[in-house]
Amino acid sequence: MKLELLHQPDSAIAKFHMDPQEELLAEAGAMVAMSSHINVSTTLRKGKGGGVLGGLKRMVAGESLFISVFRSGSSPAEIYLAPKLMGDILPYQLSGTELVIQSTSYLASTPGVQVDLGFTGFKSLFSGESIFWLTANGSGLVMLNAFGSIYEIDVDGEYVVDTGHIVAFERTLDYSITKANKSWAGAFFGGEGFVCQFRGRGKVFCQTHNPGAFGRQVGGKLPPRA
Amino acid sequence: MKYDIRYKPSFATLFLTLQPGEQIFAEAGAMASMSGKLSMNTTFFGGLIPGLLKAFLGGESLFLNEFSNKTQSPQEIVLTQSNIGDITQIQLNGREICLQPGAYIAHTKGTKVELQWAGFASWFAGEGLFKLKLSGKGMIFFGAYGGLSAVEVQDSFVVDNGHLVAYEPGIKMNIGLSGGMLGSITSGEGFINRLEGHGKIYLQSRSIDGLVRFLRPKLR
Repeated sequence: MKLELLHQPDSAIAKFHMDPQEELLAEAGAMVAMSSHINVSTTLRKGKGGGVLGGLKRMVAGESLFISVFRSGSSPAEIYLAPKLMGDILPYQLSGTELVIQSTSYLASTPGVQVDLGFTGFKSLFSGESIFWLTANGSGLVMLNAFGSIYEIDVDGEYVVDTGHIVAFERTLDYSITKANKSWAGAFFGGEGFVCQFRGRGKVFCQTHNPGAFGRQVGGKLPPRA
Repeated sequence: MKYDIRYKPSFATLFLTLQPGEQIFAEAGAMASMSGKLSMNTTFFGGLIPGLLKAFLGGESLFLNEFSNKTQSPQEIVLTQSNIGDITQIQLNGREICLQPGAYIAHTKGTKVELQWAGFASWFAGEGLFKLKLSGKGMIFFGAYGGLSAVEVQDSFVVDNGHLVAYEPGIKMNIGLSGGMLGSITSGEGFINRLEGHGKIYLQSRSIDGLVRFLRPKLR
């Protein structure tokens, strides 16, 4: 399989050249175009963060519980995958280290990667939106997408990321979700809400823009849903 | 203080390095990520009452976060805006600038931030009853939805509603129709903002209201 990334960073789209008998998994709805002989099927995500209730909550949060599986079959094929929001795509080569992915940042992965529903996250105190996580194990390629550009931080020590800006992070890091401020009043009024506090060594991938914040800015001016 | 605005113009993001003893003040919610060694402190935006006024009338958050480096080594912080678009920087050096609601991102020490009455003309233009006036010797950062263009206004200039991001205090606003009642309705320009005076203005190439007007009829 060969990967080409086009139109980075603002309108990134991933183009895969598949060899015969290859397989690619992607977030349901990510396929933009593909060779007509590609065989498509749908499976349900597996993992501990599921369950009927968890599944429903995730669907309300805009995350699909379904994964599309694309198989090239007997001849080479091409497929284009893209996320919904404007922004960049990052290919991450997985080899042993577990990667925790903010669920809306998952775009696609190769079959050697096992992607499971992770812990059910938490609800933001301010927006009421929930953040969910996926865990990726095994070896292969994981495609991540972001709202805005993606910057990589090589954490060595302590690092803080607003939860709305996390794309993914390596599980070699210790992390805890805390309030950004020492005082509760400060956390509540400071607008930063919850942050993820990382400790140790490993990589964190951040998105320059917070989809929730932009959504609230535009959504706040739209008429209420009937 | 070292700063670098990366991913211009669509996803402009501010990467700052604070030297020991330095601090930056930022709008609540502007912090994307930072070194775990920086201290964060939430304060009212210019005192409690002005802060309340700003929040309800100025479109800015009631609170301001102060990030300070109390360690002995440089520390990094990343600040951004909720809009996708460009970010620019101004070194005030005694100059003054007025910011429209939502444009403000951060300022350094030595900057005075005040809430000022912008007038009904401004409100009609969809720009809010109040504006933020920044003065002093510090550095300020503000952002836009879309690209930013600086224009030097001499005498008078016309700007469409929702595209004016910042202007120097020498500029006065007058609200008007773009060309007769019928013309205004049919041209889609609606109210326009007739600026008078001398000074620099900053325009954004897109407006959130424009996006909202596009989306609104499509909702069901």
